[in-house]
Amino acid sequence: MSAIRVNPYPTPDLLAALAESQQQQQTDLLQLATGRKINQPSDDPAGTAQLIQNLDQQSQADSYQRSMSSVNGELSTADSTLNSVVTVLQRAISLGTEGANGTLSDADRLSVASEVQGIQAQLLSLANTSYQGHYIFSGTAQTQPFVADSTQPSGVRYDGNTDVNSVSIGNGYSLQVNLPGSQIFSTPSPSVFQSIQDLINALQSNTNIGTAVNEVSVAYSHVNAVRVFYGNGMNQITDQQTNLNSVSVNLSSQENTIAGADLATVISNLVNSQTSRQATLQAIGQTSQLNLFNYLPPQ
Amino acid sequence: MSSLIGTLSISLTALAAEQGALEATANNVANVNTPGYSRLVPVLVETPPAVVNSLTLGTGVSLARLQSVRDPILQLRIQEETQQQGQLNAFVTGMQQAQVMFNSSSGGDIGTQLSNFFSSLSQLSTNPTDLATRQTVLTAAGNLANSFNNTANTLTTQRANVDLEVVQAVQQINTLTTQIAQVNTQINALQNVGRDASAFIDQRDVLVGQLSSLIDVQQIKSDSSISLTTSSGTALVADQQAFTLTTQQDASGVQHIFAQGQDITSQLSSGQLGGLIQVRDQKIPALLTSLDTLAAGLANAFNTANQAGFDLNGNPGGNLFTPPPASGQGAASSMAVAITDPSLIAASSDGTPGSNGNVSALLAVHDQPLIAGQTPTDYYANLVFGVGSDVSNGSAELSASQLILQQLQDQRASISGVSLDEEAANLIQYQRAYEAAARVVDTASQMFATLINMGVTP
Repeated sequence: MSAIRVNPYPTPDLLAALAESQQQQQTDLLQLATGRKINQPSDDPAGTAQLIQNLDQQSQADSYQRSMSSVNGELSTADSTLNSVVTVLQRAISLGTEGANGTLSDADRLSVASEVQGIQAQLLSLANTSYQGHYIFSGTAQTQPFVADSTQPSGVRYDGNTDVNSVSIGNGYSLQVNLPGSQIFSTPSPSVFQSIQDLINALQSNTNIGTAVNEVSVAYSHVNAVRVFYGNGMNQITDQQTNLNSVSVNLSSQENTIAGADLATVISNLVNSQTSRQATLQAIGQTSQLNLFNYLPPQ
Repeated sequence: MSSLIGTLSISLTALAAEQGALEATANNVANVNTPGYSRLVPVLVETPPAVVNSLTLGTGVSLARLQSVRDPILQLRIQEETQQQGQLNAFVTGMQQAQVMFNSSSGGDIGTQLSNFFSSLSQLSTNPTDLATRQTVLTAAGNLANSFNNTANTLTTQRANVDLEVVQAVQQINTLTTQIAQVNTQINALQNVGRDASAFIDQRDVLVGQLSSLIDVQQIKSDSSISLTTSSGTALVADQQAFTLTTQQDASGVQHIFAQGQDITSQLSSGQLGGLIQVRDQKIPALLTSLDTLAAGLANAFNTANQAGFDLNGNPGGNLFTPPPASGQGAASSMAVAITDPSLIAASSDGTPGSNGNVSALLAVHDQPLIAGQTPTDYYANLVFGVGSDVSNGSAELSASQLILQQLQDQRASISGVSLDEEAANLIQYQRAYEAAARVVDTASQMFATLINMGVTP
C-alpha cells in the first residue's frame, strides 16, 4: 500500500477549530459591547501603556479646566468688585467737586461729607468681598482683610498679608490669581481709603477740598490700572481654555485610535467567524457518519 | 509428491491465520475510540516449504504476530510538545489572572486612582482653605492607597492559589510515575516470556503523555522498559521503580519540591509545574516588588512634599502617607493615609492658611523622576506593559504550540489510528480468504470421498 495514510480522526482538529472560532467570536462580541479593542493589557501591551499615559494626560487637562473655571470665577468676582469700587470712587469725585463749590452752605457740605462717609463704608464692604468662603483681597490670610480702625489715619486697618497664590493651568504654566488688598486699597500713595478719609476731613473742615478730590482721582486711576491684572488673567484663561479644549480633543481622538474598536471590521469579523463556525459545525455533524461498514452487504 | 492430506493441512493453516487476522480487526474496531490505542496489523508469513525430490511445495501460512503500528520518535516529539504546552498553559492562565488588576477600564486600577489624586490636588490649589476640597484630597489619597492594597493582596492570593496547584501537580505526578512503574513491570513480565505487550505500551504512552503535561520528562529506553528523568537528571521512574516527589513549605510560605531529599524547584522549567513555578516564584514576586517600589516611592515623595509646607493651622506639615518600610517590602499592601484630619494637608508654603504654594510641590510629584528616572505614571505604564506582554507573548506561543501538537497528533493518528474504512475492507478480505480456504477443504474432502469410493460398486 503506497498511498499516504490519512488521519482517520478529524474530530479533535474540528473541535479545536470550533473552540478557536468561538473564542474569536467572544473577543468580537466583547469589542462590540465595549466599543474598545483593548479590553485587557494583553490585547495590545504597548497600546495599553500608551493608553495609561493618555488617560493621565486627559485627567490632567480636565483638572486644569476645572481649576481654570474656579479661578475664573474668582478673577471675575474681583474684577466686578473693582468695577463697583471705580463707580463708587467716581461718585466720591463728583461729590467732592460739588463740595468744593464755594456757594454750598456748611450744612449742605456736611451732608455731602456724610454721603462720602457712606461711600467709605461701601468701599470697606467691597474690599472685604469673598469668593467660595475666602476673602479675595486678603493676600493668603484667612482673616477679614480690611477693618474700620479710627486710630489709623486712613480710618481702615489692613489685616491681610502681601502673599499671592498661583494656580497651574497647564504643564509648566501657572497663573497668579490674586493681588493682596494692600496693593489695591492701601498703597502708600495714593491710597483709596486714605484719599476718602482725606476727602471727608476736607469736606468737614472746608479746607483743601480740591487737593482731596485730586487724591481720590489718583486712587481712582490706580484701581482702574489694577483691574488690568484681573482682565489679563481672565484673557489668559480664555486662551488656555481654548488651547486645552483642542488638546483634549486630540487626546481623546488619540485614545480612540489606540483603544477604540473599528466597528466595521469587528462586525465583519463576527460575520466571518459565525460563518466559519457554522461550516465547522456542519463538518462535525457530517463526518464519521459514513464509512465502508455502511455498504457491507447484510448477512 | 503432493497429497490431499497436504492440501487439507495447508487449508487449515489458512483458516487459522485468517481467523487470527480477523481478531486484529475485531480489536481495532473495538478500540476505535480508545485514547492512545495503536492499531494492530496481522503479520502473515509463509510456513517453510517442504522439499520433496525435485519439488518444493508450500506448506501454508502462519500468523506470526499481531503488530502494533507505532512511531516511537513521533511519540517523543508529542511528549516534548506536551511539556511545552503544559508550561505555557499554566503560565498564561496565571498571568491572565494577574493582568485583571491592571485593567484601566475598571476605573479602580492604580493608574486611574493616581490621576484622580493629582486631580484632587489640582482642585485644592484653587481653594486651599476649603475643608470639603481638602477632604476630597484625603479621599483620593485613600483610594490610591486602597488600589495599591487591593492589587498587591490579590496578587498575593493568586500566588497562594498557584502554590496549591503546585502541590496538586506534584500529587498527580506521583500517581502517574507509580502507574508507569507498574506498567513497566507488566511489560517486562510479558516480554520476558516472548509475549506481545503492545496493549501495555499504549497505556504507558498515554501515562507518559499525561506526565509530560505536568513536568519536564526525558526518556531513557532500554530493551524492555523505559526510565524517566527530569531534564536536569532527577530520576522519576527507573525501570520498575518510581521515585516520588515531596513538597515542603519554605520560610516564605511556598511549597518547594524535593526529589530524594534534594530541592529541585528551580530546575523545573517545563510542563504545568514549570509554568506554575515561573508564575509563583518569578512573575508575581517581580510584580509585587515593582508595586512596592512604586508605592514606597510615591509615599516618600508625597511625605517629603507635605513636610515642606504648612497645614491649615500654620503648623509644619507631617506625613501624608504612613511611611513605607525602609526595605520597601510590603509597601504596596500596607500603603495607608497617615492623617484623617483634612486640615493637616500642607497646602501652604508660608504658614498662612490661604496660601496654596505647597500644593504645587505635591503636584510636582507627577513629573518627578521617582524610580530609575521614570515618573510614577511612566513606571506604572511600563509595569502594565510587562504584564500585558507576558500574557500576549505567552498566548501566541501557546497557540503555536497547540498547532504543533495538533499536527503531531494528526500525524500519530495517521500512522497508528484505526480507520473504520480500512477495517471494513480488511474484514471483507479476511472473510473472503477464509471462505476460499474453506472451499478448498470442501473440495479436498470431496476428492477424498471420490478416492474412498473408488472400487466400491454401488
